[in-house]
Amino acid sequence: MTSFLRTAALGVAVGLALGLSGCDFADIDDRPNPNGPALDDILDNPTEANIQNLAIGVEASARAGLGTYLVDVGVLGREYWRVSPSDPRFTQDLLGRSESVLDNNTFYIITPWSARYTTIRNANTMLLAVEANTTLSEGEKAAARGFAKTWIAYSYLLNLNLTFENGVRFIEPGDDEAGPIVGYDESLDRIAALFDEAYADLQAGSTFFFPISIAQGIPATVGGYAQANRGLAARTDAYRGDWAGVLDALDDSFVDAAAPLTIGAYHQFSNNAGDVTNPFFFPLDGGGDGVLAHPSFVDDIRDEDDRISKVAERTTPRTFDGLTSAYDTDVYESPTSPIPVVRNAELLLLRAEANAQLGNAGAAVGALNVIRQAASLGDYDGETSTGALIDEVLYQRRYELYAEGHRWLDLRRYGRLGTLPIDRPNDDVFDRFPLPEQEVLDAQS
Amino acid sequence: MDLSTVRLATLATLFALPSLVAAQGTVSGTVTDAETDQPLPGVTVFVQASNIGTTTDADGMYELALPPGQRTLSVSFVGYRSQEVEVPEGETILDIALAPDLLGLDEVVVTGLGTSIRRANSANSVETISARELAEVSTPQTLDGALNGKVTGAVVNANSGAPGGGINIRLRGITTINGNSQPLYVVDGVIISNDAVSNGINAISAAAGGGNASNQDNPVNRVADLAPEDIESIEILKGPSAAAIYGARAANGVVVITTKSGRAGETRVELSQSVGVTQVARTLGTRQFTAETAEETFGAAGRELFEQANGQTFDYEEALYGNDGLLLTTNLAISGGNDQTQFRVSGVVKDDEGIISSTGYEKQSGRVNLTHRLSRVFSVDAAVNYVRSVAARGITGNDNSGTTFGIGLIATPNFVDLFPDANGEFPDNPFNSSNFLQTRDLSLIEETNNRFIGSGQLTVNLLTSDTQSLQLIGTGGVDYYALDQVSQFPVELQFEDDDGLAGTSILGNASNLNTNFQGLLVHGFAPEGQNLSFTTQLGVTAFDQDFNNVSSVARGLIPNQTNLDQASALQTNQGRFFQNDRAVFAQEEVNWNDAVIGTVGVRAERSSSNGNVDQFYAYPKAGLAVNLTNLGLFQGGAVDLLKVRAAFGQTGNTAPFGAKFTTFGTFAVGGNVGLSIGGQRGLADVAPERASEIEAGLDLTLLGGRVNFEGTVYSKTVDDLLLTRQVPYSTGFVVETFNGGQLQNNGIELGLSLIPVDGPMFRWISRTSFWTNASEVTELDVPPFQATGGGFGSTLGSVRVEEGESPTQIVGLQDGEVVQLGDVSPDFQMSFFQDFTVMRRFRVTAFGHWKKGGDVINLTELLLDLSGTSPDYDEPFVDPETGEETTLGPYRVSQLGVNSGQFVQDASYFRLREVRLDYDVAPSVFGPFAESLRSLRLGVSATNLFTITPYKSYDPEVSNFGSQPVASGVEVAPFPSSRNLYFHVNLGL
Repeated sequence: MTSFLRTAALGVAVGLALGLSGCDFADIDDRPNPNGPALDDILDNPTEANIQNLAIGVEASARAGLGTYLVDVGVLGREYWRVSPSDPRFTQDLLGRSESVLDNNTFYIITPWSARYTTIRNANTMLLAVEANTTLSEGEKAAARGFAKTWIAYSYLLNLNLTFENGVRFIEPGDDEAGPIVGYDESLDRIAALFDEAYADLQAGSTFFFPISIAQGIPATVGGYAQANRGLAARTDAYRGDWAGVLDALDDSFVDAAAPLTIGAYHQFSNNAGDVTNPFFFPLDGGGDGVLAHPSFVDDIRDEDDRISKVAERTTPRTFDGLTSAYDTDVYESPTSPIPVVRNAELLLLRAEANAQLGNAGAAVGALNVIRQAASLGDYDGETSTGALIDEVLYQRRYELYAEGHRWLDLRRYGRLGTLPIDRPNDDVFDRFPLPEQEVLDAQS
Repeated sequence: MDLSTVRLATLATLFALPSLVAAQGTVSGTVTDAETDQPLPGVTVFVQASNIGTTTDADGMYELALPPGQRTLSVSFVGYRSQEVEVPEGETILDIALAPDLLGLDEVVVTGLGTSIRRANSANSVETISARELAEVSTPQTLDGALNGKVTGAVVNANSGAPGGGINIRLRGITTINGNSQPLYVVDGVIISNDAVSNGINAISAAAGGGNASNQDNPVNRVADLAPEDIESIEILKGPSAAAIYGARAANGVVVITTKSGRAGETRVELSQSVGVTQVARTLGTRQFTAETAEETFGAAGRELFEQANGQTFDYEEALYGNDGLLLTTNLAISGGNDQTQFRVSGVVKDDEGIISSTGYEKQSGRVNLTHRLSRVFSVDAAVNYVRSVAARGITGNDNSGTTFGIGLIATPNFVDLFPDANGEFPDNPFNSSNFLQTRDLSLIEETNNRFIGSGQLTVNLLTSDTQSLQLIGTGGVDYYALDQVSQFPVELQFEDDDGLAGTSILGNASNLNTNFQGLLVHGFAPEGQNLSFTTQLGVTAFDQDFNNVSSVARGLIPNQTNLDQASALQTNQGRFFQNDRAVFAQEEVNWNDAVIGTVGVRAERSSSNGNVDQFYAYPKAGLAVNLTNLGLFQGGAVDLLKVRAAFGQTGNTAPFGAKFTTFGTFAVGGNVGLSIGGQRGLADVAPERASEIEAGLDLTLLGGRVNFEGTVYSKTVDDLLLTRQVPYSTGFVVETFNGGQLQNNGIELGLSLIPVDGPMFRWISRTSFWTNASEVTELDVPPFQATGGGFGSTLGSVRVEEGESPTQIVGLQDGEVVQLGDVSPDFQMSFFQDFTVMRRFRVTAFGHWKKGGDVINLTELLLDLSGTSPDYDEPFVDPETGEETTLGPYRVSQLGVNSGQFVQDASYFRLREVRLDYDVAPSVFGPFAESLRSLRLGVSATNLFTITPYKSYDPEVSNFGSQPVASGVEVAPFPSSRNLYFHVNLGL
């Protein structure tokens, strides 16, 4: 046994030697993620440069999921059909073909819904960072807050547009989880209040210490942002039926009957590194993925209306999944065409609508005429009853704001979804998207 | 490198001193192959129950000193049955003939990081795949594909038929839901990379843009780089009870690969050449139109095109998938050496075409394995392997842009002409955004990998005595690869200006460095006259991995240019990850008389992937094997061996890289770069998953080794699952990883090997395996969710992880309600291996594989229906609900959104995976070459010769999402699988 003991001793000695050298050898560095900055690091020490990056990220991320959003509201509103040889759900689920219903765990709701909450998380993170920063002036901080809150309010609004009376959830800066599901009317009120809060911050704000990208024909300043904020507030008030509120908000917006209809706030796109291109740009006359104009667009357009240029006639009509159209949607002409957030034409039409609702026929017609003239239709000479004016407003909104995400919402708020054409037997027109499954399950638990 | 030959378990080290004991006489002789009478070099001969032994020299000769009173020799050699022979009193010469080990009864299997054990003594069921089964039945294109059906207890699934591999392997059920799901691959002691690097072709296919965020790029697993021809054996540690000593990355099992090394003796040259042809295994056909149906489906424009065609139709399936591809493989190996140094140098050159012209797989591999014994104390092993592989896999599978071959084919009715005109100009496809023939012919999609794997081992015999040995074994290795992924889509392609930027060039560069170090002390102790031996090992290991991937997409190319700077728009992404693991381990093995063998061990490991990088996680193991025959029971009669065994062990699975981080991504707008929060909410204290397994088994050998049965039951529980929970999107995040929940797998594995007939005229070896596994999610701390890669939402059928259910269940709509419709996991599998040898010259081997049950979500059929091109579209059909007469295509489309059952199809199959006929040409006809030619073998073989399946699409083996932890079995316009036929010539010089 002595040799065994000797060996054992030797073994222990070598083992110890290995073990001791192993102490050093066994250490592991706690390396950070090499692929991007950590959330905690930025919140621990939010520099001005960090907050600049966050602000740019808010505007950049506001474009995520936008293509799907425009498909959702445009297809449900029968503005166009999104056809895809590789995904049946555009022409099945969204059109309610046969017994299809909208699923609560499918990309058409999940993609835009989650993208908007990403923007909200980015903007909320920016709010926290602004609070924690020690170098910015109060004016700069207020401007940054107004910027972030405007995007938060707008993001909620887009999601509420999809889910309608299914509601949305609100999340406070710094919270891990969102609050309970809030119904449509209360949500709209909270969104309107958020726009107002943001507006107050913007008014108290001095300058932006970060670049902004959305201004197109409006000032690229805190003031310009405030005007855009009021435009969106006017839209929200219209959804709430607060017509006086619409006019109040419009007064502080960039609405201008003398200016081009296109001035406003736009999502910008480019081919630059790290940027994205317009997600609603599709080739014309294609045989694959594309956006066919709904035939009713051409059927219903008035003879003189030169907005027929928003669709392009195909070489041959295309039939897909039982749907046939001779026209492609042709609103976004290049991969870098901007997509409006809010623009002058919409604000003029909101002015017409609010005045019509309040019985101010003259003001309503005045605003309508700006739009009509731009479309070569001449001045309005029809009835001036509220009903007739609203019909005219809805026609103008349909053609002026084609493929900008409005018609479905407009018909919904006037209870006219039933007037939409049914393209195939047993197709359905849905008035809302379901809440994503995870939200429902989470809210239940 | 070959640790399994370091037979420490029995203390019969090659470095034993034959003359330490006063010799009472010597014995010498020659060891030969009992069938061929050829001398066998390298055979281990030792005096039973002692530490006195030697190996035969190049001529098969041995010489040993016999201690007093001990006259029994144990003789063993890889591939032969071990023998115990008595040296008759007074004899000094004893020749020994060893019979081949046809059923692998005397194999040694891995039991620790530095130790191995005879299979007969193992407490675990360890699968061994020999070189013969791996690469000598047919010519596997890649290693991963060669494993399919050969591993009892495994579900192996080819993700597509694309050349270059891509295989999902699951050992003993589902071990993880969101962690890494592939086994750990260890080659000659070095952990090698099995990364699957996406080639960025999503930039064209936009597959991730729709219903599922996965890019569905269907990448190659990098283990495919290894040349199957160089592999001596593969041992598969299927569960934690066997794999515990590999620790925190071994929860999915460990594939221990040993490469071929040289043997002492005359230098041998082996040259083999195979020539083959590959063909599509199955085609679906297409719908035949009339003017009316063309109009009904495609509108007036469709009718017009149909009438223009004037009755002419085209078989596009044949045009696309009908390439009879040439398959060429050349393999040269030179091996030999003397008692001190053995070497093997080999080269493999492979050039395979695919069934889609322009696709294929090439490989050039060179390997040198060296073993040198410096002295009785020191010996070194070294192996280097360089591989260059080129995979051209085309663009197949799902898309959202109409650009892949498969989607294009599906969308195209057979009356439209897509072939190029006299000037070589392709017409636009009026039914799709791409002309797939044009895409195939004009684009370049290629992945080239250059890889170096090297390893070295130093063994120091610190101490050798009659009763003890102590070895220090240091092993180090590197695995480095540099992968170039080039995809070029020229400006003239039909779809190329769809984005306003004609011409796309994608360039991905990925590099990965794995470094391994392992230091190990192995102590053997066999107290004199006690029939007892102890093997103790203590060691440390270090593993480091650094991966870097840069992928750029350039759009808007200058015509005929492909460089990234010749474009108007350039997007670049970089992804890096790393892992650093450190472990210490210890193991003790006790063997009493080869009758009772017990093992206990533990490994403690820390990793940079864990939230707390300093914390050690411990993985224990214990095993007991009781050989009842060696205990004196059942001796005599028909029973050669009856062993009962039981083992327990734990392993881990470290969190996927980055699970602990909450990180911003960059997002630019207006020419400025900003930060936008990533989709993942990190978990700062993420811990590894822990798999615990108990296995028990019974091994029985009967009738002189002609019947061998191995039965194993196991129960594996995985706790602290790494779950990626979809967080409510209202948080602003999409997912988070956390530890929670529990998975349970129970299974049975049975193997029966027989030699029904054995003689010089005819020999028949038969091996039949049966295995089944049932998995259940026993605890899930999150709401049910769609598994990663589990489909496209419940409308189309999806794999849903749900408490109380199989993790691979498929749910979908039934009359509008979401219900369980099937399961991806099979009910059971069986494999059948038959080997007939006639007159020792003709040999027929056949390998069949039966998978019973297991469903696939067939979305190819859906897309065919939606495009109006399915072959059975117009078949009359009576709607079972309404009784209305309709046709199949429209009926199936009408069920979309109501019922998903039509997509969930039984993917059972019986497949004749491999069959081969060989003839060994008699040396008598070698004539003038008899001097130089040692052997000549001619053979023909086939893979996937036929498949019997009720499944309705290309292949029941498919996975649109590649290798995923849980989900597989979603089919969307895949690269069809192929059938290969070969002719082989093998020369031995």
